Amino acid sequence: MDRNRLHNQVASMRRSLFDQGYLDDQFIQLEELQDDTNPNFVQEVVTLFYNDSARLIQNIEQALNSGPIDFCKLDDYMHQFKGSSSSIGAKKVTNECTAFREYCNAENAEGCIRSFQQVKQEYAILKRKLEVYLQTVRQASQTA
Amino acid sequence: MHGNIWVVQNPQGSAQSMALVIRFQLRPSVSITINELGESSDQPCSNSLFKGLQVLLADDDDLNRAVTRKLLEKLGCSVSAVTSGFECLTSIGPASSPFQIVILELQMPELDGFEVAMRIRKFRSRNWPLIVAMTASADDDTWERCSQIGINGVIRKPVLLQGIAIELRKVLMQANKV
Repeated sequence: MDRNRLHNQVASMRRSLFDQGYLDDQFIQLEELQDDTNPNFVQEVVTLFYNDSARLIQNIEQALNSGPIDFCKLDDYMHQFKGSSSSIGAKKVTNECTAFREYCNAENAEGCIRSFQQVKQEYAILKRKLEVYLQTVRQASQTA
Repeated sequence: MHGNIWVVQNPQGSAQSMALVIRFQLRPSVSITINELGESSDQPCSNSLFKGLQVLLADDDDLNRAVTRKLLEKLGCSVSAVTSGFECLTSIGPASSPFQIVILELQMPELDGFEVAMRIRKFRSRNWPLIVAMTASADDDTWERCSQIGINGVIRKPVLLQGIAIELRKVLMQANKV
């Protein structure tokens, strides 16, 4: 019974992540790439994303806080960040990145700063949700 | 074979005629259909085309590189991955290289994909190795620029399995026609 409950929980959490727009098709592709030779692919990629992007977020933070803003550099960082977030299917995060880049192109410092708060917020929310989800997936597979 | 054989003898006792009956079972004819590679994309993972294909993947982003590599391997390709334009050039070398296709992220720091492609084409022929660019910004200007440099195809990021398969197949077929 425990096993069924866990599996149902996993399915319901997963469905909700998609329904609420946190994840898109790219995430499904990651799931499809997971197989016997790479049984933890999804977790590995998600971990990679959060490790890599932590650095980028720091860079963006610094760029926003230092004297006259270098919008070119900002756009570069955000381009990378958006590239990664879209690769794992982080839909809301990616959308906020797009909004940020528009402010960047317009050289709107205020807009960039506000937009970046949104990016960080969505990023943190997704991180929490994915942690819980993947932990539940792990538990479910262990009781299989 | 469940058949029969008999001999009709003439008055002298030697064989005049012989008859042989053999029963064969009718079977449906087995025809080998050679798959036209240019047909519909409902079979994106046609293993025969990609199996063992030697691919060099260059992308400085760890995450994208991991995902793209896995996608290529799923198609059956044999993948070597590098993290920079310089490494890419070193791996190809001036003489012969084992790679049939180089898949190259256009926006890399220090030495970008455009530069790498130009240098490859400078020393090597138009189609060996084949070069396929990857980029998040696949607009007409990008494609035009790629075409002028001698890049054979462009894959839009974020990368999807179907997207890679279709573009690689197109590039390989065009190369075969030359």
